[in-house]
Amino acid sequence: MNETDKNNISKATPPSGAGGLKFSNETMELVKSIIKRYPEGKQKSALLPTLHLAQAEFDGWLSVPVMDHVAEVLQIKPIEVYEVASFYSMFNLKPGGKCLIEVCRTSSCWLRGAEDIIHHIEKKLNIKAGETTPDGKFTLKTVECLGSCGTAPMLQIGEQYHENLTMDKVDSLLDTWKNSDKHSTYLDTNTFRKN
Amino acid sequence: MNNTITLKPKQEIKLAYIDNIPYEIKDGETILSFVKRYKGKKAVPTLCDAPNLDPFGSCRVCSVDVALAKDGPVKTQASCHTPVMPGSFIYPDSDRVQKLRKNIVELVLTDHPLDCLTCEVNNNCELQEVAARVGVRDVRYPAGKNHLDRKKDLSHPYMTSDFSKCINCFRCVRACDEVQGQFVLSMAGRGFDSHIVKGQETTFNLSDCVSCGACAQACPTSAISDVFESKSIVADKKVRTICTYCGVGCNLEVAVKGGIIKSIQAPYDAEVNTGHTCLKGRFAFSFYNHPERIKTPLIKRNGVFEEASWDEAYDFIAKELTRIKTDHGSDFIAGISSARCTNEENYLMQKFIRAVIGTNNIDSCARVCHSPTAHGMQETFGTGAATNSIVDLKVTDCIMVIGANATDAHPVTGAKLKQFALSGKPSIVIDPRKIELANYATYHLQLRPGTNVALLNMMFYFIIEAGLEDKNFIAARTEGYEAFRKNILKLDMNEMERITGVDRELVKKAAIAYASAPKAMSFHGLGVTEHSQGSFTVMQIADLALITGNIGRHGVGVNPLRGQNNVQGAADMGCQPHQGAGYYSVSDSLNHEVYENFYQAKLPMHKGYKIPEMFNASLDNKLKAMWVIGEDIAQTDPNTHKVVAALNNLELFVVQELFMTETAKLATVILPGASFFEKSGTFTNGERRIQAVHQVVEPLKGTKVDGQIIVDIMNKMGYAQPDYHPDNVLKEISQIVQFFEGVKWDELGINGKQWPVNKGGKGTQVLHTKGFMSGKGKFIYKDFAESQELIDHGKEYPYIITTNRELEHYNCGAMTRRTKNVLINTEDVLLICAEDAAKHLINDGDMVCVESPRGKVDVRAKITDEVKPGILSSTFHFPEVMLNNITSDVHDSEAMCPEYKVVACTIRKSKGKYKEKV
Repeated sequence: MNETDKNNISKATPPSGAGGLKFSNETMELVKSIIKRYPEGKQKSALLPTLHLAQAEFDGWLSVPVMDHVAEVLQIKPIEVYEVASFYSMFNLKPGGKCLIEVCRTSSCWLRGAEDIIHHIEKKLNIKAGETTPDGKFTLKTVECLGSCGTAPMLQIGEQYHENLTMDKVDSLLDTWKNSDKHSTYLDTNTFRKN
Repeated sequence: MNNTITLKPKQEIKLAYIDNIPYEIKDGETILSFVKRYKGKKAVPTLCDAPNLDPFGSCRVCSVDVALAKDGPVKTQASCHTPVMPGSFIYPDSDRVQKLRKNIVELVLTDHPLDCLTCEVNNNCELQEVAARVGVRDVRYPAGKNHLDRKKDLSHPYMTSDFSKCINCFRCVRACDEVQGQFVLSMAGRGFDSHIVKGQETTFNLSDCVSCGACAQACPTSAISDVFESKSIVADKKVRTICTYCGVGCNLEVAVKGGIIKSIQAPYDAEVNTGHTCLKGRFAFSFYNHPERIKTPLIKRNGVFEEASWDEAYDFIAKELTRIKTDHGSDFIAGISSARCTNEENYLMQKFIRAVIGTNNIDSCARVCHSPTAHGMQETFGTGAATNSIVDLKVTDCIMVIGANATDAHPVTGAKLKQFALSGKPSIVIDPRKIELANYATYHLQLRPGTNVALLNMMFYFIIEAGLEDKNFIAARTEGYEAFRKNILKLDMNEMERITGVDRELVKKAAIAYASAPKAMSFHGLGVTEHSQGSFTVMQIADLALITGNIGRHGVGVNPLRGQNNVQGAADMGCQPHQGAGYYSVSDSLNHEVYENFYQAKLPMHKGYKIPEMFNASLDNKLKAMWVIGEDIAQTDPNTHKVVAALNNLELFVVQELFMTETAKLATVILPGASFFEKSGTFTNGERRIQAVHQVVEPLKGTKVDGQIIVDIMNKMGYAQPDYHPDNVLKEISQIVQFFEGVKWDELGINGKQWPVNKGGKGTQVLHTKGFMSGKGKFIYKDFAESQELIDHGKEYPYIITTNRELEHYNCGAMTRRTKNVLINTEDVLLICAEDAAKHLINDGDMVCVESPRGKVDVRAKITDEVKPGILSSTFHFPEVMLNNITSDVHDSEAMCPEYKVVACTIRKSKGKYKEKV
């Protein structure tokens, strides 16, 4: 996969439904309450949290129909959603594994052995960074500094940080996720529901 | 140091310094425009800056050094978006900035193919120019990752892209947003991965692109271009002319090589379109040398067209016309001039019919579009033309768009209206259809077709109720207000609400928005005029301007969006049965004498036939000959069966045409005319702007300029008229048409002049600044009346179909259907809401049989929320459908403009077998 392909959007529709896809009533209420935080006519400001909710609700990635739906809900142009979604690395424009492993590769972690951690995971899952396992379970990504240098090396799965990594820690983490049916998400602790 | 010079008290000149020399600053100026103004356009290199876009500041190539004191410490600033500060010292070409610019360009070149010799824009590339200018000789950076392998997008009939050549300057994105307002292009990703996308990573063909080409023209390299390679420099010459596709009057710059048109671009210095135009103006030109052009005169003998020489055809016509004139009289002959032709040609055509034939039976297609505008505005203001200019959109506070789908029919003005609505200022759309503009408008009053009068009366009611009338203006400049007011206040709003189907609260809000804006402009189109109460609606729109004092200033007024490129001119030149050139009544004895003296001919004093009356006269055997220039009346006039029967009943039917249209097929003689690329003259756009049309290529072999054809036949019939040349005809026009008094061919300049043009050659941007032609503005009250069509047929035919236009095609489509526009818009479709479709088991894409009391047609269904239940809409661009088989010849009570907008019909699913052939 080369650099330009990485962000290329997938034309696949998410398994949870195409065309008439919609937020659940509960999420919709949440989106409305987020919109209300901003002055009238400035509903575009709610775009980032809405995209996070959309990604959490629709299988961990943002398909074209999902982004179109977000545009419709926020009454903005689809392209305004896309330019934002493609800018931030936390939004996935292609379906990935249920468990998204993001390993920090910036200086501190690198000095503390991040490369070894990455190679170890690559070997264990038999994929390269940026790829997804054929069973759709894991996606491995390398990311820039996650602000946890004091506990390097570290990785992130969903909202959870896993720090002071060793190979054993990584192995048990992979085992846990292998046997789990969960989707990793940045919204584990109901970030927006706290309001 | 003192940086201001005191001339007189309070009058200060602000100064800044360029290379230590002081210059005067204009208010709000950027450093870039300041430096360019004094040091020439090329004083500072730029890449992301473009003449028709807001300053952006992304490329930094325009950086200059700025100091607060002479030779003081400097800061480098992007000049394009930094306001110039009084007292600052600007060094536009210091060693520091030279190095900086060079480095920036080097960085750009690390990710740009160096294939200049084989590139479309070789020698016309802004990157190439800037690189040459800053003196790049080598790229010092090692070859690293790049985007040179990006794939080209050749999916679209016109637009192309090759993003390996993209320099991420955002010009295309800004053109798409700021000029067209389409929001198709954007920048996705970030950092090294930043890249331009169309929609969500799709192609031009699959995106919502309307192929206006603004992005291609804005692109400084060939990353976005078009299939005509319009940015290449292969042409021998570029000719500036005026587009013939609509009343906006876009200036076009046509590139020609070896007598062949290569491509078209829009000049930035055109006041009308400032570097913008639509896909019709920019791309739909290939009709001009299409193999189907008629290239020789044709005479129909025994039902078959036979080729003839010009002399043969002229002799045949002259003999027949003379025979009919002698046997039956001049009034048995009629002419329809073309609003697609020049002012000079229209003038000659009416002169031919009046002075040579001797009848006032002359009309033009204004009859079927804006005749009610001319009539309604003459009644209220005394002048039947737009009061203001489109440029006033920059200063107005509110717009009201009634029955005008500008983004399709007048795309460049439409884009400007859209930009206005996007600015968030109050905008009101009154339209039965959810047109594109309605999506951006503050208020969309989605009324039932045919109820404009009721809706506008509601607006008057709420304005008066809220006390928002401009009492001073009413007292000083109008008459008839008291009676008008009484009538309005008598109206029952519940009843009006029921008739229009629009919530009265919404109407009230819109009315208050219009009336309380310091400056409000109205725009209207055929959704106003093509109704039985068309003229009355125009009078109401005019009166809405009067009651709120929105007349006679910049940013206000009544602005009909004229359909054809020169429909204003056709009427100005006298192609009307009741008024001669310059709008003087033919029945007035004083005018009559002036005209007779001027033309040196006996002229009739009684009014002639309007177009619908011509058809009736033919069917009644009161008309034996007709001459039509460039108008496909068989396809575009309502009630096709009747039109065809009328034309078939003629003894002589002369048609001047480019193509074998439905009308031409019925002709006795066809004379091959010339397209606008092949002639010179003037067009008058919807804002009264007389602009010069310049011949781009010679007329196709065998064809003739239409004006010359008229001159030839005039001479053949014994009237001495000099050969067609815009200079001499314009001179003749300026002697009889008062508001053309100062119009001279050589003095029109690049942006033309808006009439009235005084003797000194000065034009007029805003009409009625001091008074009205007719003295005072008139308030004229009209009651709503249901369309006769619905009274007669509404029960039996419960649906209402209204006709509309699509961006890609122009009227009968004779021209646009012979371009690649047909690949984008392939057929007429029937807009129908999901509810109605379900009722008749119609799926999206099914053929639907639409039947009216006149006939039936088959057209493909498109399920949409653009129309409300009970309402249908379709275009009549394609002869395969012949939608006018079903439209009615009920017409405006005053001007006889047909009611295309309200047709009673029924629908059922069909298999496409009811297609009727004419």
